[in-house]
Amino acid sequence: MLGFLILLAVLVPIFAPYNVVQSWNDPGAWTNNPKLAAPEWSEVFTGKHLPRTALMPYNGEPGGFDKVRISFNVSNQVYTTVVLRSSFSFQADAFPSEIKMFMTTVFGNVTGTQIKVFWGRPDGQEIHIFDANPSVRAPYENTFSLTGPTIKDPSYAVYNSIRDWLILKNVTSETEWDALFPRIGGIYQNPPKAQTMLMGKLDHSILDPQTSEVLKGNYSFRIEFNGFTATDDANARAVVYGTVFGLAGTDFEGRDLLVALLWGAPVALAFGIAGALASVLIQTILGAISGWYGGLIDEFVQRTADFYLIIPTLPILILLGILYHLGIVLILIVLVVFGIVGATTKVVRSIVLQVKEEQFIEAARSYGASRGRILFRYILPRVMPYTFALIALTVPAFIFLEASLSFLGLGDPMLPTWGHILGDAYGQSALFASRAFPNGMWWWVFFPAAGIIFTTVAFALLGYAFDKVLNPRLREQ
Amino acid sequence: MPVLDIKNLILWYRTRKGPVHAVDDISFALEPGQTIALVGESGSGKTSTANAILRLLPKNVLRYEGKVVFDGQDVMEFDTEEFRKVVRWRGISMVFQGAMNSLNPTIRVGGQVAEPLMVHYDVDRDEAADQAIEALGKVGLSADTARRFPFELSGGMKQRVVIAMALILKPKVVILDEPTSALDVMTQTNIINLLKELKNTEHLSYIFITHDLGLASELADLVGIVYAGQLVEVGPAEGVFVKPKHPYTGKLLASVPRLRSEAAPDFIPGAPPDLTDPPPGCRFHLRCPVSFEKCGWSAPEFIEQVRLLQILEETKNTVPAIEAMTAKGAQNLLIKPVANGTVAEFAQRLTSFIAQNQETYRFLKSVESVQAKTKVVEVKLYESTPPPLLGGDWRASCWLLAGAGS
Repeated sequence: MLGFLILLAVLVPIFAPYNVVQSWNDPGAWTNNPKLAAPEWSEVFTGKHLPRTALMPYNGEPGGFDKVRISFNVSNQVYTTVVLRSSFSFQADAFPSEIKMFMTTVFGNVTGTQIKVFWGRPDGQEIHIFDANPSVRAPYENTFSLTGPTIKDPSYAVYNSIRDWLILKNVTSETEWDALFPRIGGIYQNPPKAQTMLMGKLDHSILDPQTSEVLKGNYSFRIEFNGFTATDDANARAVVYGTVFGLAGTDFEGRDLLVALLWGAPVALAFGIAGALASVLIQTILGAISGWYGGLIDEFVQRTADFYLIIPTLPILILLGILYHLGIVLILIVLVVFGIVGATTKVVRSIVLQVKEEQFIEAARSYGASRGRILFRYILPRVMPYTFALIALTVPAFIFLEASLSFLGLGDPMLPTWGHILGDAYGQSALFASRAFPNGMWWWVFFPAAGIIFTTVAFALLGYAFDKVLNPRLREQ
Repeated sequence: MPVLDIKNLILWYRTRKGPVHAVDDISFALEPGQTIALVGESGSGKTSTANAILRLLPKNVLRYEGKVVFDGQDVMEFDTEEFRKVVRWRGISMVFQGAMNSLNPTIRVGGQVAEPLMVHYDVDRDEAADQAIEALGKVGLSADTARRFPFELSGGMKQRVVIAMALILKPKVVILDEPTSALDVMTQTNIINLLKELKNTEHLSYIFITHDLGLASELADLVGIVYAGQLVEVGPAEGVFVKPKHPYTGKLLASVPRLRSEAAPDFIPGAPPDLTDPPPGCRFHLRCPVSFEKCGWSAPEFIEQVRLLQILEETKNTVPAIEAMTAKGAQNLLIKPVANGTVAEFAQRLTSFIAQNQETYRFLKSVESVQAKTKVVEVKLYESTPPPLLGGDWRASCWLLAGAGS
């Protein structure tokens, strides 16, 4: 188990370089991923072929949009028209979670620059989904959602276009539509699910997302851009988001959880091992000094240990986390500072009190070895075996502590740790069943929790193994 | 000139019961190449003497006095650092009791033997390792022993390692504190032969601490008999072992079982005295078969012995009936008789009892006078001081030797 973890920790930076982690908190870096998608392999439980994400990149990139640009002059007025086209094959048994379109546009200082978007279906239908005006110039992207209701107008335009199209095709009537999707003050109270209508079989069942059947085949985008200067231009890309992604799914920002899960291992290992090593070694040395030198030093160390033992570390860390927003290194330092003396100091002291009465210590004194030499060459090597077991058993405590802090939102905000993911999941109610996720977002909770358990169990087993090797009474045979 | 001359060495420990007189005025001198065997019962202060010489003191030291002249210098005057640098291991080294525990279990034998070198001289590792192998060779161990850990060695090998460790700095005096006590007889003989050989090749002086008189006679030139923190007899081995002067030495020798002898080994009655409160006079008088007037019985001891007589089968009917006894100072005690007859009659009976029994119960010899008072009988005991250690090369501390009158 430990070997696997260490291998993982070594291989992770190769699989997902650190800059992936750096972009963890940048929502722009994850726009091509579906949000809240389950792992791809989870479709074996549903028995359906679930949609993957289809990307249609910009014109100029391989597999990108086709583009035609015409610029002409009529009575001193320049007109520029750009037509962009792309299509994709959709063969899944379920509807995509979202369809989005992104455009970079160059336009003059003239209002009225217009974008027309058409949606072509395998059954030959073409819906004029919406018209819109670009709001930002290149290199920034204008984002249009073809499905979800957003505060911006295009989404409502989508609903209206669909309604008009369905009425035209005699699938529904205006009264039925209004009854199904009532509006109060122009706002849909129970908005239609656009992708089930854009991609459903054209009959009455299309109105209900539960009954709507997926129409498989080739769908296409057609985008017309009309500008009024000679330099006007436009480019577009589109994403049809699936409902499953990768090996570990995604979170609410569309972030690939696999990255965070894998990076959680080295972070947890480094944090746990560094913390346990530092605090247990310092405690061991202080305990040995306390037992070996005795007297006032002993008294001082032991009383300090008593004091430290009654200080509640977690509340202090929470307080510090709220006040200062600690990074992971600072959290580690605080933990070690609050752990320089403690239970291990007391255990080691009592072992040293036994060892120091042994004859080889007296022999060492008699041939003139200094107190320091005896401490480091004679006493500490005798204590070390216990210390190794203690280190192994302390690592899980540190991993848990880091996870707890991250869970509470007080960990390092920049690093995707297991606790951090769990905290996000908890914040987004991942474990509550909803209409969209009847089993909850189990992948969001299960994998990081499994990671923590796997690691702590690995170290606990290592600790017991040490114990077995070092404690003759537990030795088998 | 003696290589080690110890004069009036005193080491008392502080305990809750009072001061323990572990080493109480011990003196002896050791010439180069000589071996002195310190022989005595457990708890008699042999190891404390060794510790006092090497200044290996526990925390509860109460008194630590005397002169330890090593190589012409009084090392008791040295401060801790000077003592550590000059005396410990460079001048006087020690082989501890129980070699199995004297080795650090976490260091390889080679490193262990080289430890004193690395502590005292700034030798680099390789040279220290070479010297360690050389020292191991001297005690008859092969070079590959150096790479082993102590737990891989047998008892005899461990003992040899400890001896190698004691010799590595080429000291003049080696203290051997029961070097063979945990070994079987064959290994004991091997080790003793090794020690004899090393003594000649390395020109060593030994202080050989043991309770085994046989081993002591093998190795020793001088013998010092230790009893209750004091040397009661010190002299040449051939003399002390053949014709001991002190009664304790005699009893000790008689307690050794002999191979072709019908006589059962003798024993010494009683137990060694409590060193927190050593007996006055000669410390052996309580157990001595030949004690007499001068040996230093005190009133409390006398009372205790009389109480013993009152319950002993042989004497309980003949002891005059006593109601109470109280000590009045160290030499006087008052005895209140049971009220039948006069006090004078009781004094009469007591005197005659003493006269009849003083050869069997020798403490009765210490009675100087019995005086009848109005209600009680006052018994006066002889006064006494500890016997001096008298004699030239062969000294013993016993009033029998000092002469009754002096």
